[in-house]
Amino acid sequence: MTYVLGVDIGGTFTDAFGCDDEGRAFSAKAPSTPGDFATGMIDSLTELANTIGRPISELLSETAYICHGTTSTLNALVTGNVARIGYLCTQGHADSIRIQNAEGRHTGLSAEEKQNLSQTDKPQPLVHHSLVRELHERVDHSGSVIIALDEDHTRKVVQELIDAGVEAIAVSLLWSFINPQHEQTVERIIGELAPDMHVGLSSQLSPRIREYSRSVTTIMSTQVAPRLRAYLDPLTDRLTSLGFSGSLLLMQGSGGAVTAAEAPNQAITTVGSVLTGGIAGCVRLGALLDHPNVISTDMGGTTFLTGLVVDGAPVVSPTMLLGQYRVNTPMVDVTAIGSGGGAIAWLDHGNLRVGPDSAGASPGPACFGEGGTRPTITDANLVLGLLDANQFLGGRKQLHLDLAREALLRDVGGPLGLNAEEAAAAVYAIANSQTADLVRRVVVGAGHDPRDFVVYAYGGSGPVHCASYAADLGVREVVVPLGTTASAFSAYGLAATDVVLAAESSRPSTFPLDVDQVAAEFAALETTLADNLSRQNIEFASVTTRREVDVRYSMQLAELATPVGAGVIDERTVADIAGEFEAQYARLFGAEAGYRDAGLQAISYRAFVTGELPLRPQLPEAPTRASEELRPRSHRRVWQIARLGWQEAAIYHYADLYAEDQINGPAVIEASTTTVSIPEGVLGTVDRYGNLRLTFETVGQSNASVLSGNTTGGQ
Amino acid sequence: MAVFHVQGSEKFASGSEDRGVDPERLDPRLRLHHPDDALSVDALTYEIVRHRLAAITEEMGAAIKRMSGSVVVTDAVDFGVCITDEVGDAVQVGMYNAQLCATMDMAVRWTLQNRSDNPGIQAGDMFLCNDPWVGGGVHQNDVSLFAPLFVGDELFAWTCAVAHQIDLGGVSPGSWSVHSKDVFWESLPIPPLKIVSGGVVLADVEDSYLRRSRMPALVGLDLRAKIGANNVAQQQLTRLVERYGADVVKTVMRRIMDDAEGRLRQRLTELPDGEWSSVAYQDQARVGDRGLYKIALSMTKHGDRITFDFTGTDEQVEGLINCTFAGLRGGVVTGILTLICGRIPWAPGGLMRCVEIISEPGTINNCTFPSGISKASVASAWATGNAVHECLANMLDAEETSTPEFMSVCKGTFGLSLLAGVDQRSNPFVTMLSDCMAGGFGARPDRDGVDTAGESPNLGGRIADVEMNEFAYPVLYLWRREEPDSGGPGRFRGGLGGSSCLIPHDTAARAIHLVSCSSGKALPQAAGLSGGYPGSASYEVIVRDSDIRNQLRESGMPIALVDIGGSAEIVPPALETVLDWDDVYYFEWQGGGGYGDPLRRDPSLVARDLTDAKIGEVAAHDIYGVVVSDDDTGFLIDAAATVTRREELRQVRVSESEVRP
Repeated sequence: MTYVLGVDIGGTFTDAFGCDDEGRAFSAKAPSTPGDFATGMIDSLTELANTIGRPISELLSETAYICHGTTSTLNALVTGNVARIGYLCTQGHADSIRIQNAEGRHTGLSAEEKQNLSQTDKPQPLVHHSLVRELHERVDHSGSVIIALDEDHTRKVVQELIDAGVEAIAVSLLWSFINPQHEQTVERIIGELAPDMHVGLSSQLSPRIREYSRSVTTIMSTQVAPRLRAYLDPLTDRLTSLGFSGSLLLMQGSGGAVTAAEAPNQAITTVGSVLTGGIAGCVRLGALLDHPNVISTDMGGTTFLTGLVVDGAPVVSPTMLLGQYRVNTPMVDVTAIGSGGGAIAWLDHGNLRVGPDSAGASPGPACFGEGGTRPTITDANLVLGLLDANQFLGGRKQLHLDLAREALLRDVGGPLGLNAEEAAAAVYAIANSQTADLVRRVVVGAGHDPRDFVVYAYGGSGPVHCASYAADLGVREVVVPLGTTASAFSAYGLAATDVVLAAESSRPSTFPLDVDQVAAEFAALETTLADNLSRQNIEFASVTTRREVDVRYSMQLAELATPVGAGVIDERTVADIAGEFEAQYARLFGAEAGYRDAGLQAISYRAFVTGELPLRPQLPEAPTRASEELRPRSHRRVWQIARLGWQEAAIYHYADLYAEDQINGPAVIEASTTTVSIPEGVLGTVDRYGNLRLTFETVGQSNASVLSGNTTGGQ
Repeated sequence: MAVFHVQGSEKFASGSEDRGVDPERLDPRLRLHHPDDALSVDALTYEIVRHRLAAITEEMGAAIKRMSGSVVVTDAVDFGVCITDEVGDAVQVGMYNAQLCATMDMAVRWTLQNRSDNPGIQAGDMFLCNDPWVGGGVHQNDVSLFAPLFVGDELFAWTCAVAHQIDLGGVSPGSWSVHSKDVFWESLPIPPLKIVSGGVVLADVEDSYLRRSRMPALVGLDLRAKIGANNVAQQQLTRLVERYGADVVKTVMRRIMDDAEGRLRQRLTELPDGEWSSVAYQDQARVGDRGLYKIALSMTKHGDRITFDFTGTDEQVEGLINCTFAGLRGGVVTGILTLICGRIPWAPGGLMRCVEIISEPGTINNCTFPSGISKASVASAWATGNAVHECLANMLDAEETSTPEFMSVCKGTFGLSLLAGVDQRSNPFVTMLSDCMAGGFGARPDRDGVDTAGESPNLGGRIADVEMNEFAYPVLYLWRREEPDSGGPGRFRGGLGGSSCLIPHDTAARAIHLVSCSSGKALPQAAGLSGGYPGSASYEVIVRDSDIRNQLRESGMPIALVDIGGSAEIVPPALETVLDWDDVYYFEWQGGGGYGDPLRRDPSLVARDLTDAKIGEVAAHDIYGVVVSDDDTGFLIDAAATVTRREELRQVRVSESEVRP
């Protein structure tokens, strides 16, 4: 038997998913263990082994690889529990990390936060002034050395940092991405003075123009590298002692994995690790269900994340936002668009608002009875009958209807002259409509039309809302993953991932591009990648390469990542770049928007290599119904559509469902991990893997009229 | 002073604060949409539509930023977007340049009054305007593009986008003509002009617009960006109206403005009544001038109303620093939005109902045609904003609250450093450096101001990386850094400004044309509050015939101007010159004002500022009165000596003050 495993280490739970080469799949769960996440991971694997019915040592000795997503690097950066490092930069530019291009004050803030101008602040500089040294050296835009590196001075200041007790040193010099010699010399000098010192060079970690982001990326990667190593080394040892001899992989923000042994050398790429498992799951399930275009919506108790899969691949941005910093690392474009089921409903000078404040997991919604008194989306769902107080999370958490009603009536209903149900219905409709606004912005902002997509809804809170916001978006269909993957969707995605490595270089130049230069850039990148891939020490089923170049109209400050053709780079390949850029541009901004007279420039080149792992998890098929008829467990009154008010809905339990079962709204399906609301006009069908698929009665330009939660007249 | 009168120019003066559109002056064929006044909208629908309107302005802003080719738009965020109702009252403005938001309604109203019969206002039209007497911008570089949205045959609303264009002609590159005596030395204003008709860009009109620019490709790209932003908004608004009906959407728009008005009135009622005054100065109206010009403001708050009286402001002047009423209003709106409306919706159409403005035409912040106004946005309009900021902050400071939310005056202008010449690829270039946008913010009553923070009329904005400037233009930076002591001293310190220093590099011309234009050099502009000192003045130096080329070759990068030989030439507020091969250009921008008496600053914060190089030892000793000793571990405070030193400084103050009878 051969197994592949995926482990998703979240803040609260660690989920494990495993499958064997005979098409069986299993999942298990254990509490996360912050401080020492490895323990929770081993616990979840022990649980998984129990589910399979074999000792963990047997399971691990027959496991080909384990891919895991971890909060380790992200937590380190967010909590500031990072290595104390020194920072070396070009003379005259040490203040770059204090000035932060003036954008540090507002980057990553919400519109509400930006609006309150006097209350905005910059984050503390990443490295304190006392551990920053300027080097005597200068290179210009063409890579020419204007001032040669003063090695004696460098030696002196490096020794100062060593004496100050730094654990690692980050080096980011101007124009190092064009000419890395000075940085390489600095690395040699540090190696001579402190052979064990971890060194991060900007020319290796982020060879991209714009010194501020490059320095931030270099510094952060250097800060987390020692912590990541300190986490991975003992984990590897523990797994080995339990009999594991396969590859331990770590998910990166880009949506592909890297081996644990190589991860610390590019620590920054793992920052988004924990955010990408869900998207990886959408990619894989989408491939299985023949859905190349997916809008991923992951609504939990405290966050609402959305991302896109287009043509079978996740949409990846060349940068990611981390607090008030923009970091240069390819990152699956996951956008936080809300605060999940805990979003608070409140009156803003008489106007009803939902979020952005959240009751979070603690004290949580009023109906949790754990001290929260403010009404949340979850409270509204309970009052509307969409949730059953006794069946929340499969009955694991008792909800209190009276507390939910009281909170809604006091904070919303009373002041607006509504009863608790009407208040709840308004909160529900507003939450759904705003979700649609925000998801639409993500989809349209990426240059796509929501009508070409299928919505995947997962996370505990999503499926109660998905029929409504999906209808508003005008998508064709909604998939609620409810088969084997239901409770461990992200872990499933991790188990099913590929190894993906990226490399980039900046060589700003104006069009027409020199064919030899473009070919040379990609040749160099692909050589680097081939080298890195072989270091992963895995036999891949297949290896594929993808290329892109960032292009812009001259003097624009934003570039568009533009695909470059595969194979030999010739006149034709290069000529196609301009056309491809302009086609994308027109799709994003409209046909009249392009303006070729401004001229084109290429800024950065990027290549990705994907190594397909030899084993793909297969999902077991759900049985079809033998004879007995599909029957609801009960009926209750629910309020799903404002226009229709209370309706009698059939209540099903997921455990009673078989493949090909069909359920017409109004209905509610309760599963152990979530609850699905199926309003009138929506048809739910169980597919052969046990997922629930929702389709709309009226297909066409907009489903909104069917499910409009709104009255169009006055009251 | 010597500005002459041009007959017929009154037609273009939107001037006063009059509201609404005179139906007599509308072509009867143009029907305006009016919702049923009796219609009320439930809380649910209101919130859904409100949220979507806000989302639409964000989409407009995102579109314009992505499509523009100009750093002034993409990075300096010198642009604005808004949605107005059928008569131009602004319902929702984007969180970009607040100054520009304040002028769109004026342009729309003027267009309704003057264009409805000829050439007519129809669906699919877009109007271009850069006439600050009409509105839609503060100086000629602000080019607005606004489009009527029709529902059926009724004019329902307008969508608007405005952005600063890098060059629109005039005698100096960049169109800020430092020699300007009147508007005829500058880029000539274009009153509302139909440039898109029935969805099609009119080629003849576009050509005649772009023909005036030294950088037509770049300006052309920006025009497309504004068209794109309007397209985005029109599509989304149309969807919204199809879904909810025109009456519902319009009723929500009205209620958004009423809501903003009501909340501002409530906030004003909470604040103490009183009268506050301030004076904002500017130095030098044009090259060669030695004058100092004042904007005088007396602000009265009574109950839920606030009056800004600019009586006593200097007369308009021969030069480029005047602004029209649009600029004055921009300064007022900026202050109201950024200081009082941190938590109140930005719907100027409602907010401005609480505000009265008293100003006399013919003054430097309400000038008449054909006064020079090419620098208006950062000159009289910004200075108006500084005066407004100071009065509002003083009013907020008078409120008894445990959670004060305001700051002292921020960096008080934008200093133009415009470079033109031949780039490293032998192409011509014109650019404005954005470095000085990283100005200091004012100190707050509970903490320091933000260092190198940005600028207060602009919510976003970033400066370009040194590498991006060196890639695009033929310059080499010697440094870019925070300037110690540039933040106004106080119990809480104003945020620091910074400086950049650069030389021509890799240009076949071996020289660069420079237009420098920054006020606030003769005296500071970022006032302190409650005894806090002002932030630093702007300061620029050109070192002529320096030894820099030799030094770079032989001894490395200098760290101070005194190390590079040559002769230092202090740059006046307005100068057009050439940077030669051996010249070095240094420009330093302002910090923010301080809050409270610096003698009351916690000495440990002073020591921290010394360690972090935010202040120097002279300031610590002479302004903060903190005595420190310096050893390997850092700065140690001598507590006893500090008490003595502070007492000494208080005695000096007493001896220097005079009691007037």
